Amino acid sequence: MADLPVQIAGIGMKNPVLVASGTFGYGAEYRPVFDVSRLGALVTKGLTLKPCAGNPAPRLWETPAGLLNAIGLQNPGVDVFISDILPVMRSYGVPVIANIAGFTGEEFVALAERLDGSGVDGLELNISCPNVKAGGMALGADPCLAASVVAAVVRATSLPVIVKLTPNVTDIAGLAREVVAAGAAALSLINTLLGLAIDVDAGKPALGNVTGGLSGPAIRPVAVRAVWQVAQSVDVPIIGMGGICTGRDALEFILAGASAVAVGSALFHDPLAAVKVIKELERYCERKEIGDWRSLIGAAWKRGNSLAGEVR
Amino acid sequence: MSKTGEYSTRVVEHLVLSRDVFRLTLEAPKLAAAARPGQFAMLGCGSGFDPFLRRPLSIHRVQGVSGTVSFLCRVRGRGTEWLASRRQGEAVSLLGPLGRGFRYEGNSKRALLVSAGIGVAPLLFLAETLMGLNWTITILIGARTRKGILCRSDFERYGRVLVSTDDGSAGRRGSVVDLLRKVFDKDSYAQIYACGPQPVLGAVSQLSADKGIPAQLSLEERMACGLGACMGCVCQGADPSRMVRVCADGPVFDASEVILNG
Repeated sequence: MADLPVQIAGIGMKNPVLVASGTFGYGAEYRPVFDVSRLGALVTKGLTLKPCAGNPAPRLWETPAGLLNAIGLQNPGVDVFISDILPVMRSYGVPVIANIAGFTGEEFVALAERLDGSGVDGLELNISCPNVKAGGMALGADPCLAASVVAAVVRATSLPVIVKLTPNVTDIAGLAREVVAAGAAALSLINTLLGLAIDVDAGKPALGNVTGGLSGPAIRPVAVRAVWQVAQSVDVPIIGMGGICTGRDALEFILAGASAVAVGSALFHDPLAAVKVIKELERYCERKEIGDWRSLIGAAWKRGNSLAGEVR
Repeated sequence: MSKTGEYSTRVVEHLVLSRDVFRLTLEAPKLAAAARPGQFAMLGCGSGFDPFLRRPLSIHRVQGVSGTVSFLCRVRGRGTEWLASRRQGEAVSLLGPLGRGFRYEGNSKRALLVSAGIGVAPLLFLAETLMGLNWTITILIGARTRKGILCRSDFERYGRVLVSTDDGSAGRRGSVVDLLRKVFDKDSYAQIYACGPQPVLGAVSQLSADKGIPAQLSLEERMACGLGACMGCVCQGADPSRMVRVCADGPVFDASEVILNG
């Protein structure tokens, strides 16, 4: 099988397929179904400084080829994560990226400080959650605020800082440039799109939180577009995500400029989706006789693309 | 313990039970061997990515000899419509068994099973299992009308069956909760098991607290992962700061563990 190694923000991965924060818990949940050590890296559910109960139910609503969620960052808090969960996650032998979600800039810094030296391999700053009233997207949709949080976190930690961006902005490339200038070592894009569904039988919004985040195949073209724009605007690696279900979906992101991909909601459709994506990428590289798979990154827009005319 | 897996199964039998309820029997030997009463499976719906999510269905009946598992399903939307269209020999993907099922320890082996509507689904597997363990059981089945009373003859093999309908077209007129109160005044039980709409579960929970008899409730909720990862299918825990996951902490809860807001 073809090798698919990659480095993202100094984190070495044996393949470029991760799981999207919030869809994979802390890894243990999926162990009965497949060997999670086959993944490139694990990304935790969003962690907050204190335990967080999340939003009222209902939290899920299926939409055409997708789903709306408004979980609201339910998690046991960073201290329980470090003491009880992280040792188990590390035992899988796969890099662990902690997704952190502060409700203020100071909380992001405090979370980064707690996790420094804890054994995680990197941080993913969740400045893009649409389902919380403070922090999240409220911070991350404003380029100045976003950059100030990123700069403060980068100062506070020795860990590589990956920043997860919201697509709910007019100029995602501009936002990305500010965040990279502030010290982001890599970018994750995209988080969910803000949406709303109404339960017409009940005559009220379907979600307890009223609004939610849209994910799944329905949003994939939005995500590919974001990767395409951002990849041509910054020089840091991009982890692309948004409706990836198959190897061909992953290739869209890679050809648009992503150096890695994350499988998220597709795991709900098929819990084996991420391992299938790995296998399909391997097969694609073999079939196309691609020596170094990284030559595919951004190939859809790079000049001198040797694959032009070959990628179908 | 239980071996959860992702399986590709075939439909062995599709049986229409009423206007909108059907029973789907799948060839799934590994699931049949591992499943316990009260557990569930996530069934894939559709051949593409729309409908996107799997549907959680209680394990209704297991036949270990033939390696088959049956699900009782009410058509409610696009996913269950697709499942209803599956015919013998066709493929259905399945993730299971999942969740924490019913518990049945103790010496006083007298149980009261309370169901309403499609809530009979997990209780048939339980009734069969309890009979195998020499429990004495009474089964209450409630529905709006006679046509909504499901699986009556199946349950009659395992214990005494009492029926109520809102319109009196079968059994006692009124809700299953009225029937429950009446039965409760006459006999004594070591354990109540219930599955049905929230008002029924709420009434069972209240009665359990009033009379000091433990009750286990099988809850239903929309789910995404089914594995406890996504935190989508939560219910308010007895500790108000804690939301419990229906898929992984349940779907069967002691009545004292959850606060129902139906």
